[in-house]
Amino acid sequence: MLLEIENLHASVEGKPILKGVSLAIAPGEVHAIMGPNGSGKSTLAFVLAGREGYEVTEGSIRFGDEDLLAMEPEERARAGLFLAMQYPVEIPGVGNLYFLRQALNAIRKARGLEEISAAEFMRKAREEARRLGIGEDLLKRDLNVGFSGGEKKRNEILQMALLEPRLAVLDETDSGLDIDALRTVAEGVNRMRRPDRAFLVITHYQRLLEYIVPDVVHVMVDGRIRRTGGPELARELEERGYEGFLGRLAA
Amino acid sequence: MAVVASRRRRVDPDPSFFALHRAIAPQLWGGAEWAALRTRALERFRALGIPTRRDESWKFTDVVRIVNRPMRPAEPRPLPFAEVRPYLLGGSEAVRLVFLDGRLVPEWSRTEGLPAGAIVESLADTARTRPEALARALEALDDGRAFTALNAAFLDGGAWIEIPEGVALAAPLQLLFLSAAREEAVMAHPRCILRVGRNAALTLLETHAGLGEGAVLANVVLQLALGEGARLDHDRIARAPRGHALLVKLDGSLGAGARYRQTTVVVGGALVRNEHEVRIEGPEAECLLSGVAMPRAGEQVDTLVRLHHCAGGSHSDQHFKSIVEDRGHHAFAGKIIVHRGALKTNAYQKNDNLLLGADAEVDTKPELEIYADDVKCSHGATCGELDASALFYLRARGLDPETARALLVYAFAEEVIARLTEPSARAFAERMLLERLGSDFVSPESELLAEAR
Amino acid sequence: MATAIETVREVTGSEYKYGFTTPVEEERFPPGLDEDVIRRLSARKQEPAWLTEWRLAAYRRWRQMEMPDWQKVKFPPIDFQAISYFAAPKQKQRPKSLDEIDPEIRRTYDKLGIPIREQEILAGVAVDYVFDSVSVATTFKRKLEELGIIFCSISEAVREHPELVRKYLGSVVPPGDNFFAALNSAVFSDGSFVYVPKGVRCPMELSTYFRINAAGTGQFERTLIIADEGSYVSYLEGCTAPMRDEHQLHAAVVELIALDDAEIKYSTVQNWYPGDREGRGGVYNFVTKRGLCRGKRAKISWTQVETGSAITWKYPSCILQGDDSVGEFYSVAVTNHHQQADTGTKMIHIGKRTRSRIVSKGIAAGRSDNTYRGLVRILRSAEGARNHTQCDSLLIGEHCGAHTVPYIEVENRTARCEHEATTSKISEDQLFYCRQRGISEEDAVALIVNGFCREVMNELPMEFAVEAKKLLGISLEGSVG
Repeated sequence: MLLEIENLHASVEGKPILKGVSLAIAPGEVHAIMGPNGSGKSTLAFVLAGREGYEVTEGSIRFGDEDLLAMEPEERARAGLFLAMQYPVEIPGVGNLYFLRQALNAIRKARGLEEISAAEFMRKAREEARRLGIGEDLLKRDLNVGFSGGEKKRNEILQMALLEPRLAVLDETDSGLDIDALRTVAEGVNRMRRPDRAFLVITHYQRLLEYIVPDVVHVMVDGRIRRTGGPELARELEERGYEGFLGRLAA
Repeated sequence: MAVVASRRRRVDPDPSFFALHRAIAPQLWGGAEWAALRTRALERFRALGIPTRRDESWKFTDVVRIVNRPMRPAEPRPLPFAEVRPYLLGGSEAVRLVFLDGRLVPEWSRTEGLPAGAIVESLADTARTRPEALARALEALDDGRAFTALNAAFLDGGAWIEIPEGVALAAPLQLLFLSAAREEAVMAHPRCILRVGRNAALTLLETHAGLGEGAVLANVVLQLALGEGARLDHDRIARAPRGHALLVKLDGSLGAGARYRQTTVVVGGALVRNEHEVRIEGPEAECLLSGVAMPRAGEQVDTLVRLHHCAGGSHSDQHFKSIVEDRGHHAFAGKIIVHRGALKTNAYQKNDNLLLGADAEVDTKPELEIYADDVKCSHGATCGELDASALFYLRARGLDPETARALLVYAFAEEVIARLTEPSARAFAERMLLERLGSDFVSPESELLAEAR
Repeated sequence: MATAIETVREVTGSEYKYGFTTPVEEERFPPGLDEDVIRRLSARKQEPAWLTEWRLAAYRRWRQMEMPDWQKVKFPPIDFQAISYFAAPKQKQRPKSLDEIDPEIRRTYDKLGIPIREQEILAGVAVDYVFDSVSVATTFKRKLEELGIIFCSISEAVREHPELVRKYLGSVVPPGDNFFAALNSAVFSDGSFVYVPKGVRCPMELSTYFRINAAGTGQFERTLIIADEGSYVSYLEGCTAPMRDEHQLHAAVVELIALDDAEIKYSTVQNWYPGDREGRGGVYNFVTKRGLCRGKRAKISWTQVETGSAITWKYPSCILQGDDSVGEFYSVAVTNHHQQADTGTKMIHIGKRTRSRIVSKGIAAGRSDNTYRGLVRILRSAEGARNHTQCDSLLIGEHCGAHTVPYIEVENRTARCEHEATTSKISEDQLFYCRQRGISEEDAVALIVNGFCREVMNELPMEFAVEAKKLLGISLEGSVG
């Protein structure tokens, strides 16, 4: 297994949010987590990435051979965990490409690789940017500063493509995207699917999953995974809505 | 190393202050303990001295020239209704205290209809009914400021006002301070202490007006305390004729969740100086201060603000403006101090100055002093002429240059005046502004105005 | 060009890597200051009588003055009689060529990363090396002479170009200007002198590297730069000092004069020893820097990166006298641990249509205090003057303070002044985002801080930008976590 979450409990400011999540993702798989607002999906993403203030009270997470919870956020990133954030952060004065190159070299160094040459980096970045419909000006601007919602999301995918993670967690990457942007982003993800790489796609709507077809769909409600199934589960949710679905669960 | 005291931050007060005190203090109200309090304050005043421009907070203002000379309290004189009438604000139900030359004038004051538990009384009465509370309040304010000490040294007129817990006064409360010029230089030192209880609410109209031109010093001290969740809307208007100096010190404290909103409009005066020292002591409080000053030839208006954020989660916003005409002078010194631990503070300050005369002068010093890291603070200041493109726009629409100018100035000031909460105060301030502009020009509601803005 | 993160990593482990001392034989005056000391100093430097008198007059003024106390810095009283006013490495005379320099001194500059030679790393920069009270070497002199540019120590200028020195010394910062300027005028030991003749564009950066080595001394250098009509010069100043538990005083005076259409760009990377984590030791950096745009369309631009010193107190200023002249001030001031910085600028607008721009970035960490203090004064004569000021402060941690004290005084209605200031902190969100992309927390801080300062860093000449970025990272080590 690439990722094994067992009986994970986590709290934010003393309030329990995750109440016993168990989940296993093998290399090459795409898992989706769906659920209503406040069900704990984004909390799970932040716990995986090691965000401060998200306190694990019980359970374990293994990432490959390692104990993920014992690692610092940057160590997790260097070990190949990437979180595409729902709200990417703006950092004034720090160039987009400059930042990306710093991150890439930090990760390469940790993996014992040479730093990437400026020319090679530029070539890769430009190529990936072109595919994602990211203009040259956006590459040169300050990191996420003044980017539209869609531009920020595409920029996250660009970073993912260059950092080449083993596990990519996409937190509500579809929110705020129009249909064209959604398709571009999904294509970016699909291009990256490989037998040794896995994805965890967190979303509220089924829409994204028409483009990124998951192997496994989990439904999260109130901090627990209530059902696990194939892609058809997503369609069922879409038709019935969480209301109907919750109703049936309750029954 | 030999050091010669080359820079004097203060000068000794004129001996007449002390001679006068010996002569008149024994005739003021209260027994021996009040006489002792006044004498202590006088000694404090002597020790502090009169600040020169070497004193940082008087850097832009030569107050020695204005106040350090023989002055005396004005002899009582009648106050005909005609002189009071223009300044009566707040409607027929308003509670009102009228002071002439620092002394309460009962015939034009009105304290009927106060809700149970509310207190509005003269300080002389308070000295009898609650001497300890009064003494405590007076001694609590030791701000190292000479004029506060001088005010206490000549403590006489003034009021004690208390709005009890949970009470919202339906009608506004007006404090009207009138100063009448005499043959000789006169001075007055009224002090008002106002407490707005927990969850109580009040609209306060503070009005200063001068009667006749001449050498007058009105040295006012206001002490405000807002309890938890209290609300105070404070409209302040000052109109000072030539020769009048008005020094107002406002000391305020805000409890948790309190809301204080103040708007000040100032016209005229040899010197009108509004000093604010406001402390946000409880969390989640809100303090909004705004003002517009309009000095012209030979006039000076100073605005000083020291706003302390001592507790976290509070919000403050200051917006002060000035319109300075020929040889007028405006000085603004605003300081936001965010104390250690006052996290999640939001504090903003803006100072915009319009210079209209060739010899107009503006000094501005917007300061931040921050000791907490999780805060959002910003300030901005601008100085300049009227916007040439707006002026052109109006002229292109057919307005003559004078009208266009007046209209833009009006718009600049109106942004502040519109914040006065009480309608009669707002109307008064607008009239004052139009008089100043010397123009019977346009309907303020003109669409052009909206566009030009 | 090395990146911020690489450079930060390079030097990790050494908090202040310039803290060594050099074992050179030195000549020094015993501590103390009186007229006799000044006469001896002047005699030792073989100065003309007018300069001795000038010093003595300044000393007499100084004795009448008080130490200023309006800055927002706190320190115990300085005992001016405990300082030695002259210290110099022993050398028979100033070496004629670079090859004759004392190997110890040569090694010192090698260790500081600015080797004394006219090649390789500093190929585009001519350097004047000031070691304690004296200038020990100046590179590229001949090449500059061909263009008529004078670049030498001020002592040499007094001997070789007395007419220029006499005309301009004290013309921008008069001896009685302030307490420390008066002291400097009385006791200044050495410093740099630059004269760029009419119409000459100086082809390389001119630089002085100041090094305090001796204990118990003060450094009082004096720099005078004159750009004649239509000329251009870019000047860099760097400085370091050994780590010592005592405080050392550095009270320099810098005067710039730009005539018609001339431009002077003056950059400083100030890295005097800041003291240790507990606030022991460190340099008191009390400096008067002022430029005069005397001519029409003259331009003076100050750029400073202040990371060192226990206390920094300086306000590089511009007097904009010539019509259409321009003043600029770009500043980054970083304080950590117990450092105190009170710095800013004065822009005095006298000429018509004069313009000034101020960009100040203050970063406070640890238990430090960081104050921007500035003055923009528009005199009645400054028709159509413009100023724009931007002051941003960044706080790191809960025990530091950031303060902004701008004075704006306007006497001409056609002037337009705008001032903006903000205070913020490095957000948890930004740190987490960087770390999620694999960048360590300390590197993330350096990255964000460099971003915060970019507007100013962009103003630095290339040779300095790398050094400056590196310093930012080091100065903030240990400020988070």
